[in-house]
Amino acid sequence: MKKFVILAIVLFTLTFALSQGKDGCYNCHKDAVGDKATELYPKDVHFKLGVSCADCHGGDKTSDDMEVAMSKGKGFIGIPKGDKIIDVCLKCHSNEMVMKKFGSNIDVNQFKLFKASVHGKSEIATCVTCHGVHNIKKVNDPTSPVYPTSEVRLCSKCHSDANYMKKFNPALPTDQFEKYKTSVHGQRILKGDTKVATCSDCHSAHDIFPANDPRSTVFASTLPKTCARCHSDANYMRDYKIPTDQYEKYAQSVHGKALLEKGDLSAPACNDCHGNHGAIPPGVKSISHVCGICHALNAEMFSRSPHAEVFEKRNIPQCEVCHGNHLIERPTDEMLGISTKSTCIKCHREGEKGFEVAKQMRDMIDTLVMRTNRAKAILDEAEFKGMDVSDARYDMNDVPQILIKARTVIHTANLDEFKETIAPGYEIIDRVTKAGLDAIDEYYFRRWGLGMSTLIITILVIALYFKIKQIERKK
Amino acid sequence: MGVLGEKFFNWFDERYKIRSFIEFMSHKTVPWHRHSIWYYFGGVSLFLFIIQVVTGILLLLYYRVGEDSSYESVQFIVSKVKFGWLIRSIHSWSANLMILAVFIHMFSVYFTKAYRKPRELTWVTGFLLLIFSLTFGFSGYLLPWNELAFFATKVGTEIIGSIPVIGKELLRIVRGGEDVTGATLARFFGLHVAILPGIFTVILFLHLLFIQIQGMSEPPEWEKLPPEKRKYIPFFPNFLLRDLLLWLIILNILAILAVFFPWELGKKADPFAPAPAGIKPEWYFLFMYQTLKLLPAKVLFIEGEFFGLLIFTVAGILWMLVPFWDVKTDKGYRNRLINYIGLFVLIYMLTMTILGYVLD
Repeated sequence: MKKFVILAIVLFTLTFALSQGKDGCYNCHKDAVGDKATELYPKDVHFKLGVSCADCHGGDKTSDDMEVAMSKGKGFIGIPKGDKIIDVCLKCHSNEMVMKKFGSNIDVNQFKLFKASVHGKSEIATCVTCHGVHNIKKVNDPTSPVYPTSEVRLCSKCHSDANYMKKFNPALPTDQFEKYKTSVHGQRILKGDTKVATCSDCHSAHDIFPANDPRSTVFASTLPKTCARCHSDANYMRDYKIPTDQYEKYAQSVHGKALLEKGDLSAPACNDCHGNHGAIPPGVKSISHVCGICHALNAEMFSRSPHAEVFEKRNIPQCEVCHGNHLIERPTDEMLGISTKSTCIKCHREGEKGFEVAKQMRDMIDTLVMRTNRAKAILDEAEFKGMDVSDARYDMNDVPQILIKARTVIHTANLDEFKETIAPGYEIIDRVTKAGLDAIDEYYFRRWGLGMSTLIITILVIALYFKIKQIERKK
Repeated sequence: MGVLGEKFFNWFDERYKIRSFIEFMSHKTVPWHRHSIWYYFGGVSLFLFIIQVVTGILLLLYYRVGEDSSYESVQFIVSKVKFGWLIRSIHSWSANLMILAVFIHMFSVYFTKAYRKPRELTWVTGFLLLIFSLTFGFSGYLLPWNELAFFATKVGTEIIGSIPVIGKELLRIVRGGEDVTGATLARFFGLHVAILPGIFTVILFLHLLFIQIQGMSEPPEWEKLPPEKRKYIPFFPNFLLRDLLLWLIILNILAILAVFFPWELGKKADPFAPAPAGIKPEWYFLFMYQTLKLLPAKVLFIEGEFFGLLIFTVAGILWMLVPFWDVKTDKGYRNRLINYIGLFVLIYMLTMTILGYVLD
């Protein structure tokens, strides 16, 4: 079998070598002119497939007469420029039948995708900008400029050149390659690991769009799936020995639900915590900074809490210790306090100050919530009885806000500050409850009042009736 | 009466001849027959009007007219002012009961032919009082500046715009602009608390004066009865005490209605909000509203709405002038046609009102 394959390759190469032997353009340019194109071309994938100079440049390859071979009448176009380059490539690369003749399964829609992409204008890029010319290699050929280990440098040729990029998008950063080199992906690719993500793995190859374009593979709500293509593939990630359930967990998290289900683009995707070009897991000490980009108040409060210093000394991952990482759920009051579901008791034991603080904070929140619910029920009852309690209802609007503030102040672990924050909530609820109860009392007062007045009026009516009868009898 | 009381009385009598007034009152009588019950409805209407005046003045202490204050001040009255809820509810309920009492009073006078000579002007002033009561109702309805009142006023005033030539200008005058706005509210308020009470009081005074001068109407059948068979009761104190008894009962009904069915305030008017479904005028306008709704767009080359308005105006004038064209009753004959017309009007109003509630 092995012998047969070798024989086939030899015959194949020989056939095409012979066919190129009949190519007037190649022979003349190689022997008489000795230009760089003919020097490079034998290594080109197209040369091996028998694509002649005339197939791209036009002209008559069978004629030895230069005037005839390179005449316009024979279709000679010279060195194609701009869109003409793309036209030349498309002669084959847009035609599935032609491509099949060459035994290729390359997608014939590449150009359509490319044309719609951010690079799709010939003054920005054409096929040869990335794939080269006369020396085009297969993508999986390590000598190809678009081979994973080379691709990053290829893209950075333009994207790291601030002066060049200014012409097209002055606002676009040009430090992607520098950042990439600091990422896990970048460090590994520099060591020759072709499995890690390069530019085209995230941005795609031909259909690249700006990150804020919903068609982009790195658009906020699409990005988690883009990352998950590798990071959720257990087989692919086996060698790296890291979990592959991040996407699954993220999708169930409060952030994932906001972004993927509600379409809230302000919710964080993978890159908001890990970085994009410089993607790396945040270090223990930087977690609160990363979370603090959005949760600024919580981060500030945490930074002045006694936890901050202790966590740093003991290398405890700040926010993550209570909230988790990828599967961050909506925090509940149960996370606070001393119950079995509380995160406080992971570290604090009975008799400790922290244990007592957690207990008191939880008790105070629970009490406010309970009294709020009771006040609501009282107002509902008053309203059901037809009493106007709209002012009290309006007053109550501040309570949820105070609860949010109190739940935030928890991060200081400072009981005095917490009490100061939650106290106005109690005052409001006291006022509202009193207003509701007063309204219910007023309701009963009205009924009693009506009863009394009806009684008095009825007595008067009866008295009047007898008086009338008495007067009429006299007459 | 004590010596001091007598001195006091004599002091007044010397100056104002009140003895002769008391003499007149003590001889005033009320005819007593099987239809005498209808005599009470004039008194009931008067009692409810007095309640309207008293509660209206009390509401004025806190009500502040304006797009930004009308609704808020009424809300303040019903939620913060001591007994404000009661006063506002009684004012609203009493207004409706008053219009009902006035209608009953009018139809009873009509069917007992009490309008006939020499009481033509009592009838005319009474009819004018009904029209002004309805205007009171229409103008007062807008004053809380709630959603329902806003759209009902919008729909109600739009009818004026259907009058040819002057309609558009008239509508602008009534609304104080192209649309129902704070300007409409201000002029409805002025109408409700200043203009109408002034005119109403003068006409009411005339109406009561005519009744005092002429006494209560006797049934037409009595003209054939010998005087000894005609029964009377003294106005004072017998009839007045009966009146008082009924007023007390009505006061109690008002209190029950105000406590058990407090008049709702609803949502504040929002001119930019779409009109809520099923907007209807108050019940006493419903028969006219329903008629206009059922009329085709064009009747004899006239706009349907204007045609309806024309018919109601002509019918109203004819109704007001009934003592002048009902010559048959005047001459002592039975005029069945009057009864049939009255019955038709009553049945028509009832049917249209019911239809107004039943149809969408």
